[in-house]
Amino acid sequence: MKRTITHPSPTPKGRTYWRSLGEYSRTPDFEEWLHREFPAGAAEWENDPLSRRNFLRLMGASLALAGLSLSGCRRPEAHLVPFTQSPEWVIPGKKMSFATAQPRRRGAVPLLATTFDGRPIKMEGNPLHPLSLGASDNFSQASILDLYDPARRQHPTRSGKKISPSDWDAEIARIRDESTSTAGSSLAILADELLSPTRDRLRAELQKQFPQATWATYEPLAPGRDLEASSLVFGDNTEFRPNLSAASTILSLDCDFLGSDEGDISDTRGFAAGRRTRKPGDSTNRLYVVEPRFSLTGTMADHRLRLRSGSMGPFLLELARQIRTAKPSADLNALLSQSPDLALPEGVDPAWIRECATDLVAHGKQSLILVGRRLPVSLQALALALNAALGSVGSTLIVQPRRSIPSSDINQLAGKIRSGTIRTLIILGGDPVYNTPADLNWPALQSSVPNTIHLAHLPNATSKQSTWSIPGTHYLESWGDALASDGSYLSIQPMIQPLWDGQSQVDLLSKLLGQPKPIGPGLIRDTFAQRTNLSGEKLDQAWNDFVREGFLAASTTTLAPRTPNLNSVAGLLSKIENSAPEDISSLEFNFIQSGAVDDGRYANNGWMQEWPDPMTKLTWDNAILMSQDTANSLGLKNEVIKGILVADVVQATLAGRSVEAPALIVPGHANFSVSLPLGYGQEELGSVAKGSGFNAYSLRTSMADYQGAGLQLKKLGKTRELAVTQEHQVMEGRDLVREATVSEFQKNPAWVKTVGMDAHIPKNQSFYPNPKLDGQHQWAMVVDLSTCTGCNACVTACTAENNIPIVGKDQVIKGREMHWIRVDRYFTGEPDAPESVSQPIACMQCENAPCETVCPVNATVHNEEGLNVMAYNRCIGTRYCANNCPYKVRRFNFFDYNQRALDKLYWGPLAPKGTEETIKLQKNPNVTVRMRGVMEKCTFCVQRIEDAKITARVRARDSADLKIPKGTLKTACQQACPAEAIVFGDLLDESSEVTQQRALPQNYSLLEYLNVRPRLTYLGRIRNPNPAMPGAKTSYNTPHGQGESHAETTHTNQESSSHKSEGTHK
Amino acid sequence: MANIFPRFSNWLPIKILVCLTIIAVSIVSGMSYYFTPKYTRVGYQPTQPAAFDHSLHVNQLGMDCRYCHTGVEKSSHSNVPGTQTCMNCHTQIKSQSSKLSAVRDSWKSGNPVPWVRIHKAPDYVYFNHAVHVNRGVSCVACHGHVNHMEVVYHAKPHSMGWCLECHRAPENHLRPLDQVTNLDWEPPTGTTQREIGEKFVKEWNVKPPVSCSGCHR
Repeated sequence: MKRTITHPSPTPKGRTYWRSLGEYSRTPDFEEWLHREFPAGAAEWENDPLSRRNFLRLMGASLALAGLSLSGCRRPEAHLVPFTQSPEWVIPGKKMSFATAQPRRRGAVPLLATTFDGRPIKMEGNPLHPLSLGASDNFSQASILDLYDPARRQHPTRSGKKISPSDWDAEIARIRDESTSTAGSSLAILADELLSPTRDRLRAELQKQFPQATWATYEPLAPGRDLEASSLVFGDNTEFRPNLSAASTILSLDCDFLGSDEGDISDTRGFAAGRRTRKPGDSTNRLYVVEPRFSLTGTMADHRLRLRSGSMGPFLLELARQIRTAKPSADLNALLSQSPDLALPEGVDPAWIRECATDLVAHGKQSLILVGRRLPVSLQALALALNAALGSVGSTLIVQPRRSIPSSDINQLAGKIRSGTIRTLIILGGDPVYNTPADLNWPALQSSVPNTIHLAHLPNATSKQSTWSIPGTHYLESWGDALASDGSYLSIQPMIQPLWDGQSQVDLLSKLLGQPKPIGPGLIRDTFAQRTNLSGEKLDQAWNDFVREGFLAASTTTLAPRTPNLNSVAGLLSKIENSAPEDISSLEFNFIQSGAVDDGRYANNGWMQEWPDPMTKLTWDNAILMSQDTANSLGLKNEVIKGILVADVVQATLAGRSVEAPALIVPGHANFSVSLPLGYGQEELGSVAKGSGFNAYSLRTSMADYQGAGLQLKKLGKTRELAVTQEHQVMEGRDLVREATVSEFQKNPAWVKTVGMDAHIPKNQSFYPNPKLDGQHQWAMVVDLSTCTGCNACVTACTAENNIPIVGKDQVIKGREMHWIRVDRYFTGEPDAPESVSQPIACMQCENAPCETVCPVNATVHNEEGLNVMAYNRCIGTRYCANNCPYKVRRFNFFDYNQRALDKLYWGPLAPKGTEETIKLQKNPNVTVRMRGVMEKCTFCVQRIEDAKITARVRARDSADLKIPKGTLKTACQQACPAEAIVFGDLLDESSEVTQQRALPQNYSLLEYLNVRPRLTYLGRIRNPNPAMPGAKTSYNTPHGQGESHAETTHTNQESSSHKSEGTHK
Repeated sequence: MANIFPRFSNWLPIKILVCLTIIAVSIVSGMSYYFTPKYTRVGYQPTQPAAFDHSLHVNQLGMDCRYCHTGVEKSSHSNVPGTQTCMNCHTQIKSQSSKLSAVRDSWKSGNPVPWVRIHKAPDYVYFNHAVHVNRGVSCVACHGHVNHMEVVYHAKPHSMGWCLECHRAPENHLRPLDQVTNLDWEPPTGTTQREIGEKFVKEWNVKPPVSCSGCHR
């Protein structure tokens, strides 16, 4: 018989939160997951006739025999290999940080790279730059792994054969001769969007040397419609960006500005600043979201309306009319007089739009309307006009000079290739063979060019098709520069010599220009001198500052507020159409960015493949996302069989092209509309990308590029297992997330204490002696649920910092993912149109830790500073601690994930041992790389804590002042978080942020009735719904006292066999 | 009468004997391996590529430890000197000595001298030199009297129990900061190490970690 704990039931009549549709309907399979720390079979030795018992018996015998020969294994001789000539500043064993930046298509991210003995190991945001202030995001964290990708090409090749540098020099000379004789008309360059001033300068020189050369730009996920709208409304060479920190009322129309595609770090930071509500009376911003699929931005919405993207036009027109009603203006009258009269989409309450418009008008220049960059130019232009009418241009919407230089697009380039004039095509970055519109038939076009050259840091489908394939450098290997989203001028400096024989884009261009090989940052410095107009000593000084700080101070420019040109918008309004009718045989489709692999460039990055999508929690795959109703109409199912989500596979057909893909049912998706994440299905990229997902690009055409109607889905009768982590590590829904409206918070700031069991907890006694907490610091962490957007940047940062291995799709399906911090995403409400809330969960560092009392070998014990520490070399892998952890935060190394190939885990000792040399270079030397059979979990970044303490002691020398200066110690998750939702610090320091936040009335701990006294606590989430809106919730909690009293049933340990909540041991 | 013992029991005494022998041998060999100081490498004295004589350089020439081990006060790792450091003097002094041929070769070729490692903490131990030498723990506490060694050897066991001896009672090893690299320092007459150490523990607020996280991360 098992001793089990009967947990008190969740608050009756309160809100229920669920993670998956399975949990919503309490399927037996879900219950199974719930009651086990590790899912069925995870703890057993399966797929093998050899049982664990037999194995142990055999191993026992062989160990005894091995004991006989032990005396032969003394430690081997090791060597200390110093430098011959020591480089300046380098102290072996000491880390260094350098400013650099990661180029992105919509603006580079200012970063700091941490290097250890000459190898970069971790990226952080640049704390000096106002865009980052130390924060970063998923892609900048994960980009470090791309540097060390073993799939990178080591040598330039021609037709697949390795060539020598002289061959390459000869080829460049030949291209120069050819281009000189044709004035460049035979030369075309297809480049990705880099926003690099130096590349733009070299491009201008190239066009001077070869005036007829074609320069085209292609990015699969940069529609450029926002630029078009901007030039229509604000004039040529302008662009706009939101300033969310100034916005108090925001309406987003399919604009996922908190996601990685349409937003950046500063957007999340700005939004979080407006959302943060510490005490009653603090202002809280309000967010309205209208979108087809549930996005990260949707989770933060106070009012969310699911709407097909095709219906955004009628919606926005109606909103414009309502804004005119609320704030009559001659401009809007004139503008709307020409607009078509479209019926509102079915299911949209006119009152919703009216109240939203009233709210926007009431907040005047603090309001902001954002329209997704994929939506038609007409809608984007109309939104700009409306923002102008609200007065928000210059306040929440900033107009700045356009950063990118206009180029030919890929269709114009295709036309030139078809006409046969292009003899040499140079492709700088990107992967057009994989991701160009399918109707272009790019592979055939590219093959028709006699000579093609591809420069890219990873060999992809385009490299295979090109005559010359030149390995490119990673941004951490080469000098460069780039513009950030606010237009500021960033420097990119190399952290390491190119690992392989790579060259950067500017190196190649300067070679093509016939310039001598650049020495160091020569090319970049020339651009810098030109842009700053400095020379001599002043230039030296400014350049040194530029490189050291990572950016040129005061290099952002904004344009004075301009009167928008409404005439141009009026002409476009007639193009706004009603959406296609709801038709199950002609569905609306949305091609969307994948939050994990972007447009496909991170598809060979293991961290991003294993990164659970914030909304779907899907790893290692993409799937066609649809609502339950749409799936029902198509007869599609997602079944959970033995804890594995098995999805029906459909054939998706669009304009004669088709692809097979699994269908994933997601709550909150618009009906008769599906979303197709791009970037997967790259078979040729590398071993990580192989076999993951389907290629949605194969359906995408120039006309049907982002959304439209006409997609057909046919059930094929096949299924695919998906690695979805949403039901992993569930905690029975015991009022884990707590929410209140602003008015509830004002009425009762301590409302969190009235939720769940907290008010009824009897005085609890611990059976075990408490650890002595007499250290000089007492560490604690607080997570603010109001500002956490659930972006998962903390997960990626933790992976990078703590050497967390990836385990592969097969193991994720078994619930064995190793992330020390996970972001639990809860839904609440009806599955059709729920609300959502995210909650990051890491080890709670309980003061009365249940894991410690069950460890038979004292491998997990408490230290005097309140940390629940884990000594790996003591751990014998009983997994008792994981079974006893109420928060399910412990992770077990079922295999030697760091030493064996993920597809050969079950080969055991037969699998080749060892890991790629380049991957080893990434590992953080201050964190143990764990082996098989060892338990691990979040340590509050103990390596950083110890480092900070040591630094303080080294500084103190013979004094007693051991204070750690403020702001110098941050955990990896805290440092990455752009919303500043995580704070960490010392409870003994009364002025520390963490002490103050723990004292707030809305601070609560999870499962408080267990009396484990967690050091990680949460600030309840405060929502700001508009009471005037139809269907607005005024209250999230039943008033205290209406719930049943639980005092009698609380925490009674009973002998019972009916309700098991312990893990089972066999 | 039927046999009381089944047939296989004929071999049982021999089997038991063999098993016992194996167990006894394992225990004896295991004990002799793991429980002797040799296991902790005490006395390990490998031959170095160049016969660097610490006693000559420190005791006769009066060089400070930090002339060569430059990073010891700043970094977790105490570096061995680069070839350049040797050549600062040895381009002038003993520039033709055969004992220095490995160093000269390295200087000429640019390949580092492969010094044989003597002291090595396991991978899961994160020892930090800087915090020890900056807080009054002398080199001699862990490395012994290197200043008297012609050929360096492993003088102390460096086992976890040995580390904890000092972490639990730091007063037995603390000394004034300016005497940290003076390996022959003795407490002034009239005082004892314990008195001096206790004074420093109090004045400097010395509380060495004794929990796992102090060294294992």
